[in-house]
Amino acid sequence: MIPSWLAFVVRRLATAAILLLLLTMVTFVAYWKIPNEPAAFLVDIRYATPEQIAHARHLLGVDRPLYVQYGRFVWRALHGDLGRTFTGARTTGPSGAPVAGQVVHAAAVTGSIALGGALLLFVVSVPIGLLGASRPRSLADRATAATSIVAISLHPLVVALLLQLFVASRWHWLPQAGYCSLLPQAQPCSGPVGWAEHLLLPWVTFALFFVALYSRMIRARLLEVLGEPYIRTARAKGVPERLVLLRHALPNTALPLVTMLAMDIGTAVGICVYIEAVFRLPGLGLRTLIAMVGLGLDLPMLIGITLFTGAAIVVLNLIVDVVAVMLDPTISRSPRGRTALLHLAGRTG
Amino acid sequence: MSTGRARTSSAERDPARRGDSAPVAGFAGPWRIAWRRLRRDRIAFASGLFLVLLALALFPGAKLATVLLGHGPNDPYPYAVDASLRPVGPWTRVPDTHTLAPTAGDELNPPPPRGTPDTLFILGADGPLGHDLFLRSLYGGRVSLEVGVGAALIALIVGTGLGTIAGWLGGLADGAVSRLTDLMMALPVLLLLLMVGTGIGDGLRLWTCWGLLNDGVFQLMLLIGAFTWYYPARIVRAQMLSLRGREFVEGAVMIGASGYRIVTKHLLPHVVPSLVVYGTIMVATSVMLEVGVTFLGAGIAPPTTSWGSLLQAQWGSVLTPGGATSAHIQPFLTIVPGVAIFLTVLALNQLGEGLREALDPAGAR
Repeated sequence: MIPSWLAFVVRRLATAAILLLLLTMVTFVAYWKIPNEPAAFLVDIRYATPEQIAHARHLLGVDRPLYVQYGRFVWRALHGDLGRTFTGARTTGPSGAPVAGQVVHAAAVTGSIALGGALLLFVVSVPIGLLGASRPRSLADRATAATSIVAISLHPLVVALLLQLFVASRWHWLPQAGYCSLLPQAQPCSGPVGWAEHLLLPWVTFALFFVALYSRMIRARLLEVLGEPYIRTARAKGVPERLVLLRHALPNTALPLVTMLAMDIGTAVGICVYIEAVFRLPGLGLRTLIAMVGLGLDLPMLIGITLFTGAAIVVLNLIVDVVAVMLDPTISRSPRGRTALLHLAGRTG
Repeated sequence: MSTGRARTSSAERDPARRGDSAPVAGFAGPWRIAWRRLRRDRIAFASGLFLVLLALALFPGAKLATVLLGHGPNDPYPYAVDASLRPVGPWTRVPDTHTLAPTAGDELNPPPPRGTPDTLFILGADGPLGHDLFLRSLYGGRVSLEVGVGAALIALIVGTGLGTIAGWLGGLADGAVSRLTDLMMALPVLLLLLMVGTGIGDGLRLWTCWGLLNDGVFQLMLLIGAFTWYYPARIVRAQMLSLRGREFVEGAVMIGASGYRIVTKHLLPHVVPSLVVYGTIMVATSVMLEVGVTFLGAGIAPPTTSWGSLLQAQWGSVLTPGGATSAHIQPFLTIVPGVAIFLTVLALNQLGEGLREALDPAGAR
């Protein structure tokens, strides 16, 4: 069993490496083509002499040919160094902040939004799904069905803006915008309470976008499972209905849930961009926006975020696929397990 | 999936085609059956009706409203905002003048000159400049819907083309298209849309389809279409794969039909119902993306208004936080475009759902 697992993982990681190389290359070439003067980060290009601009370009490393720049980027990236940001660069003394550190900080913010949001999503959608499946076509079921139709048509931006407008700006129940570090720091606001307060509205926005899809999916899967013979057996031998639902039926929703989760990772990144923009949380999305509209295009930061996001999506997909294989007894225990894994590798690689 | 077959075989039996005008009881084409089912589906029918009314309100209606109200969407009304630049709320009569009265003495906000006529702001004003929010919503809705429909059409055309190539030819072409769709699906579309949107800048902004569209509309259509074509491509490819080996295709090959003829006359008609359904939902998705991309500053640019830029008005931009962080909030600035987007997307989704059921060949007639 071990070799097939290993072959699968190695194969996927190799495809991922090629994908990431392509992604960064495309970003590099695209930004080379855009009319843009990186020297603007160092000197005021309206007044600077050509020599000053040339010197600034040299300091930023953008005066070399594109393939040299890309080669240096790849070589450094392989050693864990993503370079330094253009923003904050100086003609004398230290240059901009290290991109790797900035990206890790941003990723912590985006991760806080997505993980908390996903947790809230499951806490809400599992009971709704259970309720719908245990009493299909009841008043509560139809009410949640109608609510999900509404929720699915709501733009996450509108939800975020309205929550911010009323809950934060009007009623002052929660902070309007900004981020608080989870770890206690020497800042005006940090620690778990401030962190959760600033993230509560983002989590609600995140969960509301997905809750309709997930609760409906859980309900449909439960109804499907409840018609199976082993459920009839459980009921016949006198298992209480509550246990039939929670112990016998619910675990069977895990596999489609995990598969769906994998498909939604890209969408979740998009939702986080909206949320970060509205609530001004310095995550990957907001940092991308700032890197694009600042003094000029902050290429090292953009490449760093692209690389990190791409890598994170690949790794998360890989984890989800492995978990799916582990959850599915028909794949991992059948003699054709290896074929199934390779099929999986071919499907998503 | 027997719609195409039913149509070809019924052509010989259909008396109308033989010049006999007597109708045969019970005969109805697949589209007529779908129409009959759709009329019975109250929610889908109401959604369709709403969309027709919306299109009427946005296209001929916007101009009509301008004439009836007596002011345009871009006319500034300084008296439509108060001293702290907070815009007026719905159903307010605003002095019909474009200039503020000169400051007299220590009075900071002098009233307009006596005898100035009023003009009606149905939904209030849209920001510090005092434009009419109702009119701007109508004109903005035009742009948003144009982008939505255009992007969905581009995505459908590209997706159908690539999906057909992949599904019909198979082999290397299928491999290439499938890997490309897998790649696109794994990437965060919005982030890429923003990067490319900022990147191409004004590249195609001024291409307006000979004055038919506003500035930047065509560019955004292309951009959104370029990042959403893979869903229809997957659907078309899957259908092509399942139809390729069927008897009617074998029959067509046997009588010597060319590959082009088989694809256009025998295979593509089967895909049309799914494309109609999917296209409706894709319009909704594209409207959502237009709002998002414009809101984040990479879509429709200022002189042109869309629902995305209306939503942005109070929030500001990435670098300069707007009024939402101050005490002078006008909730209608967010509520009006928000509700417009919500109703449009809801109606499109429900119409798509209804069309799916109406066009299902296995459904009850």
